[in-house]
Amino acid sequence: MLRPEEYFDPLPQEDRDAQFIAIQSKSFARNVWESFSRNRLALVGLILLALLVCAAIFGPMLSPYPYDGMDAMSRNQSSSAAHWFGTDQMGRDVFTRVLYGARVSLLVGFASTALNLVIGVLYGSIAGYVGGRVDMVMMRIVDVIYAVPAMIYMILLMLIFGSNIYSVMLGICVNGWINMARIVRGQVMSLKEQEFSVAAFVIGASRKRILFRHLLLNSLGPIIVTVTLMIPQAIFTEAFLSFIGIGISAPMASLGTLAQDAKMLMNVYPMQMVWPVLVICIVIFSLNFIGEGLETALNPRGKR
Amino acid sequence: MADPMIRVENLVKQFHVKAGPFGKKGVVHAVNGVTLTIWRGETVGLVGESGCGKSTLGRTILKVYEPDSGRIFCGGAEITNLDHKQMQPYRQRMQMIFQDPYASLNPRFTVGELIAEPMKIYRLCDAKERAERVQQLLETVGLKPDHIRRYPHEFSGGQRQRIGIARALALNPEFIVCDEPISALDVSIQAQIVNLLERIQAERGISYLFIAHDLTMVRHISRRIGVMYMGALVEVGDADEVCDHPLHPYTQVLMSAVPQPDPVAARRQKLILPEGEVPSPIDLPPGCPFSPRCLYATWQCRNEKPPLKDVGGRQVACHHAE
Repeated sequence: MLRPEEYFDPLPQEDRDAQFIAIQSKSFARNVWESFSRNRLALVGLILLALLVCAAIFGPMLSPYPYDGMDAMSRNQSSSAAHWFGTDQMGRDVFTRVLYGARVSLLVGFASTALNLVIGVLYGSIAGYVGGRVDMVMMRIVDVIYAVPAMIYMILLMLIFGSNIYSVMLGICVNGWINMARIVRGQVMSLKEQEFSVAAFVIGASRKRILFRHLLLNSLGPIIVTVTLMIPQAIFTEAFLSFIGIGISAPMASLGTLAQDAKMLMNVYPMQMVWPVLVICIVIFSLNFIGEGLETALNPRGKR
Repeated sequence: MADPMIRVENLVKQFHVKAGPFGKKGVVHAVNGVTLTIWRGETVGLVGESGCGKSTLGRTILKVYEPDSGRIFCGGAEITNLDHKQMQPYRQRMQMIFQDPYASLNPRFTVGELIAEPMKIYRLCDAKERAERVQQLLETVGLKPDHIRRYPHEFSGGQRQRIGIARALALNPEFIVCDEPISALDVSIQAQIVNLLERIQAERGISYLFIAHDLTMVRHISRRIGVMYMGALVEVGDADEVCDHPLHPYTQVLMSAVPQPDPVAARRQKLILPEGEVPSPIDLPPGCPFSPRCLYATWQCRNEKPPLKDVGGRQVACHHAE
C-alpha cells in the first residue's frame, strides 16, 4: 500500500499562503451600493429623484417668473419658448409653479417622514426592548390611534391650525409613525433574543448601548426601506389633501393644488393638469423603485 | 487552591410559562437549588442532557438571568442582588463564550470593533493602546492581524469562535463560562479550540465553567465534573472518578452511553437504558428527579428528595450511594 508521502508532494512554501487569499473585504455600505446599483430600475429612480430634487431647489431661483406672478395678457397659453409648460388661467408660468409645487411636496414628504422616523424608531424600540406589560400598553395605545381614520385627524388639525404646510405635515405624522414603530418593535424583539445581544450584556454594555449600537444597527435595513416607502406615501397624502381643498392654500402651491387648480378647465386645457400629475408620478415611482432596490440590497439573503 | 472564584448556594431560577392567553400557568424549574464552588484556576465541566438547565445555570451565574433565590459569590463578594450598573466591576472578572459562533457576534461590527468593544465600555485604555491590545488578542487566539477589518460573516465557525474568545479575554477576566463552545464546531476544530482554551488557562490562570454534551471532551478539559439532571446537580467530583466509577444511577446511564473507540471494548460495553420518558420540568416529581426513570428507585426515592452528600471525596445526590 502506498503511503501519503509517496503520492503527494508537499506544497512549496510560497504556495501555502494561497488559501488565505480570500475575497476582498467590503464594508456594509459598499456591499449595499453594489447590489443596489445592479438594479437598473432603482438606479433610474435614484437619478430621476436627484434631478427632481435639484430642480425643485434651484429651479424656482433660476426661473425668470415668480411662482405667484400673474399676467393677464398671457392666460392659458400652451407650451412655448417663453413658457415651457404654458401658463394657467391667471397667466402664471406653469413650469415655475410645478417646480415650486414639487419643492413644497418634497419638503412635506421628507420633513414628515423624518419626524415619523424619529418617533417611530424611539417608540417601537422602547416597546420591543422593554417588552412585557410596557410593550402591551404601548402597542394598545398604537392600536387606538390607528383605529381612527387618518382623515379625521387631518381635518381636525386643519380646522385648528388652518390650511398650511405645517398642519399638513402634522396631519401626516399623527399616525404615519405607527407603521415604523411596529416594524422596529418586531425587529428589536427578535434581535434582542439573539446571542449577540446577550454577549453585549455580558461585556457590560448599558441598555442604551445595546439598543442603539446592537439592536437598531441591525434593523437598519427594514428601517431604511420603510423610510423610502413612507416618503411617497406622505407626498401622495399631501397631494390628495390639497386636491380636495384642505391642504396647502393659495398662493402657495403644491403638486396637489396645481392639479386642483387645473381641474376646472380640464376639458379645455388638459395640459395644465398633465404637468403636475406627471411630476407626482415621477416622484412616487422613483421613490418606490429606490425602496424596492434597497429592500433587495439590504436583505442579507439577497446576497449572491 | 483554597481560594474560591465562584460560589453559588441553593441557586434557583424559574421561568414562568403560560399556554395560550387562557392557558394554565406553569413554572419551569430550570435551575433547582444548585450549590457549587469553582476554585481559582480550575475547570469544572458541566454535563447533562439537553434542557437540564446547564446553560441557564451558566447564565444565571453571570446574572444574565436574575436568580429567583439562592446566592452567588464572585471572589468572596456577594453579587446576587446587584443591578446591571453595580455588576459592572464584576463583569470585568467574569466573561462568557457562547455556543453559536454565528449568532454571538454582531454581524455589523468588524472583528476589531467586536474585540475592542468591552475595552471601550470600561474605558480601559486610549484608542492607540486599544488597537495594540486587539492585535495582541488576535495573536493569542491564533488569528491574523489583517483580520481586524473583516466582518464576522467572512470567517469560518472555528475562526468565529476564536473571535468570541478574544472578546471574552479583552477584559482580562478571572472566570469564563464556556457555554457549549465546541458543540457547533466539527471535531478537528473542536480539538483546536479546546487546546486554545487550555493554553489560555495555563497562561492566565483563568477558571472555566465548561458546559458541553461531549463527555470525552469534558473529561479531557475538566478537573472536576458536575452532572446535572432536571435543574439539579446529581453528582460532583473528580473528572476521572466520575467518568470511571459513576455513583449516581443517572451518571451511570450517561457514562454507559459514551461511544467506545475500541470495537472490542464497544462490544463488551453494556448500555444502561433508563425507563420511561424525561419528566417535564414543569411538574417535577416530589422525590428524586430521576426516580421515575431510575432502575433502583425505591419508595423513599419517589417521595424524599435526596440531598447532595459527600460520598468518598465527591458529592452525590442519591439515597443509595455510599
